[in-house]
Amino acid sequence: MLYSATTKLLQTLLVLLIVSVASFAFLKLAPGDPVSIMLGSDYSKESYDQLSSELGLNQPVFIQYGKWLADFVRGDWGTSYITNQNIFELTVMQALPVTLTLALLSLLVALLVGIPTGVMAAIYRNTWVDVAATSLAIGGNAFPSFYLGIILIWVFGVDLGWFPVLGFVAPWEDFRQGLWHLALPAITLGAWYVGLVARITRSSLLEVLGQPYILAAKARGEPAWRVVWVHGMRNVLMPLVTVIGLQLGGMLRGAVMTEVVFALPGLGMMITTAVLNREYIVVQAGIMLTGLLFVTVNLAVDQTYQFLDPRLRRR
Amino acid sequence: MSELDHKDKLANVLSASINRRGFMKLIGAGAGLAAGSGLMGGPLMQSAHAAAAPKKGGIIKLAWIDAVDTLDPHFTSSLGSVKILNNVFNGLLKVSYDGKKVSFVPDLAEKWEMPDDKTHVFKLRKGVKFHNGDPCDAAAVKWSLERVKDPAVGSPHAWKFETLAGIDIVDDTTIRMRFSKPYAFLPVALTGSTGRAGTIVSKRAVEQYGKAFGRNPVGTGPFKFAGWRENESITLERNPDYFEPGLPYLDGVQILLIKEPTAAVAAMMAGQVDGMSLSPFQFIPQLKSNPNLKVYGEVEGNYSFVGMNNRRAPFDDPMLRKAVAFAIDRQAIVKQGYFGEAIPAYGPISPPMNGFYDPNMAKTGRGQFLDLKKAMEYRKRSKYQGELNPVYIVSQGFTGSGGSGTRNSQLILPMLEKIGIKPKIELLDRAVWTKRRNGGDFDMYDEAWIADLDPDETIYPEWHSGKPWNFVGYSNPEFDKLISDAQDTLNQATRKKLYDKAEDILMADAPLAVLAHMKVFKILGKRVQGFQYIPVDLMNLHSVWLS
Repeated sequence: MLYSATTKLLQTLLVLLIVSVASFAFLKLAPGDPVSIMLGSDYSKESYDQLSSELGLNQPVFIQYGKWLADFVRGDWGTSYITNQNIFELTVMQALPVTLTLALLSLLVALLVGIPTGVMAAIYRNTWVDVAATSLAIGGNAFPSFYLGIILIWVFGVDLGWFPVLGFVAPWEDFRQGLWHLALPAITLGAWYVGLVARITRSSLLEVLGQPYILAAKARGEPAWRVVWVHGMRNVLMPLVTVIGLQLGGMLRGAVMTEVVFALPGLGMMITTAVLNREYIVVQAGIMLTGLLFVTVNLAVDQTYQFLDPRLRRR
Repeated sequence: MSELDHKDKLANVLSASINRRGFMKLIGAGAGLAAGSGLMGGPLMQSAHAAAAPKKGGIIKLAWIDAVDTLDPHFTSSLGSVKILNNVFNGLLKVSYDGKKVSFVPDLAEKWEMPDDKTHVFKLRKGVKFHNGDPCDAAAVKWSLERVKDPAVGSPHAWKFETLAGIDIVDDTTIRMRFSKPYAFLPVALTGSTGRAGTIVSKRAVEQYGKAFGRNPVGTGPFKFAGWRENESITLERNPDYFEPGLPYLDGVQILLIKEPTAAVAAMMAGQVDGMSLSPFQFIPQLKSNPNLKVYGEVEGNYSFVGMNNRRAPFDDPMLRKAVAFAIDRQAIVKQGYFGEAIPAYGPISPPMNGFYDPNMAKTGRGQFLDLKKAMEYRKRSKYQGELNPVYIVSQGFTGSGGSGTRNSQLILPMLEKIGIKPKIELLDRAVWTKRRNGGDFDMYDEAWIADLDPDETIYPEWHSGKPWNFVGYSNPEFDKLISDAQDTLNQATRKKLYDKAEDILMADAPLAVLAHMKVFKILGKRVQGFQYIPVDLMNLHSVWLS
């Protein structure tokens, strides 16, 4: 157990190291640079050189990288050139909670809508219910999130006036207002996963429902809901956890679009702004944080398996 | 020369933009009239508030789609910032608008006199305080203006004080600015809005915050800076010590920073925000048809254009540039690129520059206009024959390129194909676009100069040899001399002649093909009252109240 945990940790660190090198290299290769953005239209070569050296951008790339990594590991994430704010505070304290809240709510939407849809489709296989549920699932997957976001804004925000269309209220400051503000973004981001969850639920459940122990349960005269939700669903959970775990990283990607459309000040919005400003140091912190989230989720999924399937615990 | 002669000269300079009798009042020729706060913009305020008595209180919520870079007025290059700054800071002068003409009226200054044509004496308002309690006196004003000029500070607006020889403190509320030569652009430079150089900042706050001053601005304006949540919102609160009595009416301002204009328009339509700082052209018909909204927008001091790189082939050949200029159908661009919310441009000087703008430029054969026959002729006389494929860099996004870069380039493409030029359009993000433009790495680029109040602002830094925004590398000594002379001339008629000639040369040399003069919009909800629209892309909130 200890051995496997250590191996996992080392693997995780290696992944993060590779992420940091790759993202650093890509950023440096991207055209456009922060100095000309900061100086605006009118600058001399002297002021350009001076600012470059102030920011340390005239040093060789590997020295810049080394220095950045050393500082980063020590917890000194630096100060934004543009906002003069502490980057740790900017990313971890301000942006991350927004994105995490959005992701969790979207996941909740995905599960609350996706699982019942999948179950209905499996139970009423090959009927109109199945067709409707499957169409919903495919539709959710097919719609790009920025497009869905704008449609939801117009229908539920403008025409019906039920939800606020932009702005962020922290649920930990005002729970009801917070949820109300996050409802449309969470549905937008969750829609894709509704489809995913429904499809996995349906196919896994169909497989399970043909098993002898289900027949046995039915034969014992257990009510139908118990057969499906207790005996059936336990075995649907494994593939569901796997797929959702793998896709949570993708959720961060979807969050970028959703945050921009709904003007939510999360990690996605922060990284977008920083990329446009070529603020390497902020983008880098954002990418590392995203990477960290990704591997953490993967580790968590691993642990969940062991919890769900006792056979995996013995090793 | 008597004192009055100089005043007369200055009045002439400004008569482009201000009714002369009004101006004489403002500079205090009649001593009793120049008595400070009651005077400035008085009639305007009355008419704006005649309908109902203003109500105090409330927080206005505004969707801001244009970028905000810094709230340090001496450093910002974004009009999205200037629109906010103008509520936090004051300039020595400010821009006013009576529905017909834009004028420059005293703001922190109470009186403005010219003992000779190179000396300007400003009498400041008494008792004005910065938001941190420091007095805004002669010493503070001198320090602030010198900050802009100081090369070590590195303000991009330093050029506006190039000829400033010195500032003397006459007494606590009087400063004297001495210039090395007459300076016709000064009124614009001294405004706290688009001029920016004359915006007065708190010395103590600048020293206290250093580079972070732009995120902690301290001025004298109607609203105090209250907070900035990254990518989320900027909040302002009422300045109880503001010098205009009874103002502002609002308790505060909440500015929501929005990247996606569609979402802002939706919030506006749903009544979830009280206003928008700007709107893309395509939403205007929809916003106008909503009975709950008021759409403000007029053609402002601006022009969009295609710049051509004079430094390298093929546009080092003036014949080819002229061919491009005469091949462009400006009506089509106005209709399709700007959804009808613009007018064709035949030269760079725009309609609000009264007395300088010539609406008949195309009819009289001056300027650039669509004439395909002419274009073909120039094309034939060009050094470069055969099909040409110049690189045309375009930036995405609403605020970049005057808002219509991508649309304009797609419209221009088939027009140029008719004369055998097939540009390769490269769509770039703003950072890359800026770098390539500044580095001269393009054949054609699309842009707009906006919120200009004076021909000098619209021509000099852009097209004078070696000046900062002359990205195409245009150089013509005769043109340079004309616009330099115009800068040093205070006589309006002479200035007009100089600019006419300069404009003719510029359009004939065609380092640029002008496209359009655009409207700039502000959208407000019905409950927003007392807003004074000023056509230099401003959003002043000091007189605004919520019903």
